[in-house]
Amino acid sequence: MKNITESKSGSKKELERKKLFSDAFKYLDKVYEPNLRNILKRCYQCGRCSGVCQVSKVQKFTPSKIIQLILEGFEDRVIESGVLWDCLTCNQCLKDCPEQINFADLVRMARYKMRHEADQNPSEMVAHKGIYTTISELMSRPYIEPDRNLDWIPKECKITDKGDTLYYVGCIPYFNFEFENLDNIASSTLKIMCQLEEEPIVVFKEESCCGHDLYWGQGKIKTFIKLAMKNIEMFEKAGISTIVTACAECYRTFKIDYPNIFDDFNEKFKVKHLIEYVYEKWKQNKIAFKNPNEDDKVIPFTYHDPCRLSRFLPNDNNITEKVREIFKEFKKLGYEFNEMLHNKENSLCCGVSSWMNCNEKTKALRYKRMLEAKEAGEIMVTSCPKCNIHLSCIQNDFENIASIKIMDFSEFLVDHIEVIKDEDNLEGKV
Amino acid sequence: MSKTKRKVKKKDFNPEILVFCCNWCSYAGADLAGVSRFQYPPNMRIVRVMCSGRVDPSFVLKALKEGADGVLITGCHIGDCHYISGNEYTRDRFQKLHQFIIKQLGINGKRVRLEWVSASEGKRFAELITEFTNQIKELGPFKVL
Ligand code: SF4
Ligand code: SF4
Ligand code: FES
Repeated sequence: MKNITESKSGSKKELERKKLFSDAFKYLDKVYEPNLRNILKRCYQCGRCSGVCQVSKVQKFTPSKIIQLILEGFEDRVIESGVLWDCLTCNQCLKDCPEQINFADLVRMARYKMRHEADQNPSEMVAHKGIYTTISELMSRPYIEPDRNLDWIPKECKITDKGDTLYYVGCIPYFNFEFENLDNIASSTLKIMCQLEEEPIVVFKEESCCGHDLYWGQGKIKTFIKLAMKNIEMFEKAGISTIVTACAECYRTFKIDYPNIFDDFNEKFKVKHLIEYVYEKWKQNKIAFKNPNEDDKVIPFTYHDPCRLSRFLPNDNNITEKVREIFKEFKKLGYEFNEMLHNKENSLCCGVSSWMNCNEKTKALRYKRMLEAKEAGEIMVTSCPKCNIHLSCIQNDFENIASIKIMDFSEFLVDHIEVIKDEDNLEGKV
Repeated sequence: MSKTKRKVKKKDFNPEILVFCCNWCSYAGADLAGVSRFQYPPNMRIVRVMCSGRVDPSFVLKALKEGADGVLITGCHIGDCHYISGNEYTRDRFQKLHQFIIKQLGINGKRVRLEWVSASEGKRFAELITEFTNQIKELGPFKVL
């Protein structure tokens, strides 16, 4: 078998890609503002951001002060000091800023600057020795053609490589390197989808990373653009029109970051998170919820809103409400939905974003989140595989929170979904 | 590793190979190969680590990312590790690295190899390097943009 990476002088595909990438950099301006001051001018130093900032609770970090320093012209000092590697890009500060200053976006651009102008390399700060970000970077190369494992696909599901609806899996198959049972998220999602779609679902064997971590955490905006191009090329070739994903980060990246760079991305592709997908089908009366085990016991559960699905979306977005509406329905099935102390747009951060800043300080944040979860229920549902990883990890360190079962939205739903056949629908109407 | 003038033609392709040697066995083996004047191709660079257990899978990926055409990790034979079980961890980790990452990235698994070389196996070290270099030559360059 001949592998694309092994060819002598570069295969045709690879050459095409190289050509494609050669103009990758002209897109940089769209998501990068070299003069950081320009995006901060409206700040009037009310200091709210420093008050609500989630890392400021565990270490010295004051966004408003950093902003003021930049406004006064000390941008180079801020860049040199490297403090901005500490931000979690959780966007709590944007939510409370009266002037809508997007500090996380500033951090993203500053990280690009820190890496490329100040020559900083935060490799000791990247969790798991940077293995996952390195994988993403490798995937951006034109000569890498991933050959992903598809063993997790449930037997009853049919998949193709060309079609209308795509299930974008994300990095889950690579996480098997160190984490367990994450395949379950992918297989549950696909199980839900293939019950509802008549056509087989598209799942790519050569899927690349969406690039989220490089974009927000690593300051590698150019690499991100290359990944985006590689992905879009793949979508177009397969004739995709709807992209469904179960990952909060992929969702935000496709929904907002890709269209920021490629204007017509949104016209070409409809992006849906599994929550939206299920909600829509439910409202169309295509599914109902049932409880497979007839048990009288009422199980209390709670939901952890990933930042990428709450604070990171435009205001008109209502995923947080949609998921709660679904959960309300679960009352009939013997579940009781409880809110945690901090919820929806105020939910606490899982403490690690883009594999950055996994340390004792952010472990405190995670521990705090888990204590809130413990108060609220036995099960904690979330819809971001990374929140799942990070919060499960802290359970190994503390016995008192080990009993909480952390589940992905897809895993939680998969056994409770009943497809309503069209005939039933008709009968109901008559 | 330099990204300069990469020859693409197979016959004059000089692969760049990164070899991790554990201090106690494999590095001594490499030393012995040199002292005994066994010939082997000069395409490799050795990084000495205290134990093969020190080699994190991310090192391998980073090497590939930065332009290495092949990565070889060598350590003491199982049971001989000077830190008792370092090489056992390495073995398990590399099995996983191959299964979940190298393969899924579509990289030919032959580019990354784990071997045990003891301090007395100078000749074997030379042979191993020769064989591995030839194999990488056969595979061609792992391209760098
Ligand atoms: S909350 Fe907004 S306006 Fe207030 S200090 Fe922070 S960035 Fe400035
Ligand atoms: S994005 Fe989050 S961690 Fe960063 S400054 Fe704002 S509130 Fe703090
Ligand atoms: S000391 Fe040689 S492998 Fe551990």
